[in-house]
Amino acid sequence: MNQTPRLVISWLLVAVLLGYGVIETLITAAKIFTE
Amino acid sequence: MAVLSILDREHTVAPPGYSRWLIPPAALAVHLCIGQAYATSVYKTSMVKHFDSSQTAVGVVFSIAIVMLGLSAAVGGTWVERNGPRKAMFVAACFWASGFLVGALGIGTGQLWLVYLGYGVIGGIGLGIGYISPVSTLIKWFPDRPGLATGLAIMGFGGGALVASPLSRQLLGLYDSGYDPNVSTSVAGGGALVGLFLTLGIGYFVIMMFGVFNIRVPADGWAPAGFDSSAVRQKTLVTTGNVSAANAIKTPQFWLLWVVLFCNVTAGIGILEQASPMIQDFFRGDGVTGGKSSVAVAAAAGFVGLLSIFNMAGRFGWSSTSDLIGRKPIYAMYLGVGIIAYTLLASIGDSSTVVFVLLAAVIISFYGGGFATVPAYLRDLFGTYQVGAIHGRLLTAWSAAGIAGPLIINGFLDREGKPGTLTASAYRPALFTMVGVLAVGFVANLLIRSVSERFHEKSESTLEAAS
Repeated sequence: MNQTPRLVISWLLVAVLLGYGVIETLITAAKIFTE
Repeated sequence: MAVLSILDREHTVAPPGYSRWLIPPAALAVHLCIGQAYATSVYKTSMVKHFDSSQTAVGVVFSIAIVMLGLSAAVGGTWVERNGPRKAMFVAACFWASGFLVGALGIGTGQLWLVYLGYGVIGGIGLGIGYISPVSTLIKWFPDRPGLATGLAIMGFGGGALVASPLSRQLLGLYDSGYDPNVSTSVAGGGALVGLFLTLGIGYFVIMMFGVFNIRVPADGWAPAGFDSSAVRQKTLVTTGNVSAANAIKTPQFWLLWVVLFCNVTAGIGILEQASPMIQDFFRGDGVTGGKSSVAVAAAAGFVGLLSIFNMAGRFGWSSTSDLIGRKPIYAMYLGVGIIAYTLLASIGDSSTVVFVLLAAVIISFYGGGFATVPAYLRDLFGTYQVGAIHGRLLTAWSAAGIAGPLIINGFLDREGKPGTLTASAYRPALFTMVGVLAVGFVANLLIRSVSERFHEKSESTLEAAS
């Protein structure tokens, strides 16, 4: 049973969602020290 | 219905060789979606204008959802254990998505009570069932690292707000050309709100289905390669028996842990709920500078975002650490170091924004860590038999803290002056009260001992189910 594609897709979905959230939030958070 | 039988527990037993690392992303698919509950402030102002109502009337939507979360987790916990994670996740997805659809109908027709019913009641049930649905399954797949496994899933609940906040702003901008996602005071129209709710409802349903079809329960007797259960059971407080949910609530350990969670969440919510005005108030000048804060509104929004990241990181980081140092010591750290951090925040928090942000970040990471570590603490004390159902009952502490935390902070602040005029000194009575709350939790944690064997299940069938 080759589960590698399923593992890659599963973790990729999580990484894309969390990555989007973290990057967008960090962009906003940078304003604490720049504004 | 035969088609729905694929949701049954017996049809979700993993075949030999099934990778347990498919389970955390399945759990995350659910928690990342329901974590949207913490991002409702993004469209709150637009809702207030659309319904021409008060902040409080719209804020009630969130309160109903959190109360329903606690109630449905407590009442539905045993059902979730009996029917398995796949059916529970499916039911959670249906409730969560339906909540958005009914909410959209309420916004479209201008009926606020439909939003209460939809997002608040129906969506809140989806929140509660969804929150507990993967927990006991993760603990069974990761008997060697339960803190890491539940930390991964519950991290998703914190991460859900990180995703939903910018996504909601961008969707509102897409559906309403007059809305500027980069301006926190911008207001979207009713049509854009309907579009947002429909998009989120459908999108979350699809992502949650990903979890539904990937989740599996381990076969009876399964254990990870090289796992030695006797080594785990030699650790302090780790039980060798199993306790049912009905018996668990008769033990002092359950109620001591309830107090621990309640105190930890109350203290954390105190900061989370007030984060944006708090950082502005701490750095507000006195009469000489006209009472103007040196922290801009946009920077305060950045602070809220930063807290969300530490909330999420604490859930994974501290919960994983608890596998190494033990559950009781890590709660002693959350509460003990939390006391020091709150005291420092009250006394020197206004000395610089760096000090303020660092202290708040530590406090919020412990808040998140407390949520994520509690399922593993329950596993240690009560075994795996009905740990999901026991977890559901314990989450009533969250609902209670959701009321107590804001009441404490707002109660003190209301007496100190009007919003927009407060300074750091106005927060001191509330912050020192939180130190006292944390001290109560610290003592409750110290009093936790192993569960008496008279509460352990005796029958063979129970032990088989637990395995």
